[in-house]
Amino acid sequence: MDTSKLPRMIDFSNAPVLDMKKALYRVHNKQELLEKVILVFKKNLLEKKETIATELVNENWESLKLISHSLKGSSWTIGAQRLGDIAYAMEKASASKDLPLFNHLFTILQNGIDQVFNYLAENGL
Amino acid sequence: MKKNNIRFLIVEDDEMIRIIHKDFLEELFPNCKIFEAENAAQGICLYFECRPHLILLDMMMPLMGGETFLEILEEGHRTKILKEMPKVVVVTAIKDVKELMAIGKRFAVEAVISKPLVQSQLKALLEDWIS
Repeated sequence: MDTSKLPRMIDFSNAPVLDMKKALYRVHNKQELLEKVILVFKKNLLEKKETIATELVNENWESLKLISHSLKGSSWTIGAQRLGDIAYAMEKASASKDLPLFNHLFTILQNGIDQVFNYLAENGL
Repeated sequence: MKKNNIRFLIVEDDEMIRIIHKDFLEELFPNCKIFEAENAAQGICLYFECRPHLILLDMMMPLMGGETFLEILEEGHRTKILKEMPKVVVVTAIKDVKELMAIGKRFAVEAVISKPLVQSQLKALLEDWIS
């Protein structure tokens, strides 16, 4: 496999880890609601990461596509543009059942999740 | 549709998005009732139980997706089991334009809005329908 053609984290780095202004806008500038949805978002990120790992072993493409799609929607909603973009690439990779690409993107996604968690921690969330 | 006692059904697998939808609807219509389903199977059960006036429907969900939900509503209308059709607004992260257009053309669908939801878009629709 020619790994030079696979995407890298830097390919997604134009998009912000988390756009707090956008996140607040999505919840009508309600700080309390933002804190509530971020908690749910973080919980779901960890759950989805685990589910992807399991479904990847079974090569359950239908499920992988659904999870990636869902991750894309929630990430974009909360302003986690970079994570949403990675999830979108995973959704497309699962549609074409491209295992090496999906596997590679999953590694990038895990880095992306760490970045979101670090960003949130730095901002007291 | 009257503003008081309006019933909404949110069919959406993502808990965070359900919370955001719910807060938005409650703020816009303080006396409304909101029912929530995590997938289309739950959504159909809740639909027959609560008869919502308006439904916010996600398309891609585990177990049963929005497509089946729409098929059941349309079949119900065709066979006259459903006397009144609710207004269905599809809120989806699907990006394929052809797919979006196909959804928009369905009999049961009043409008299609892309995720991330721009709430002013939904607000304008709702205010047009609800007096």
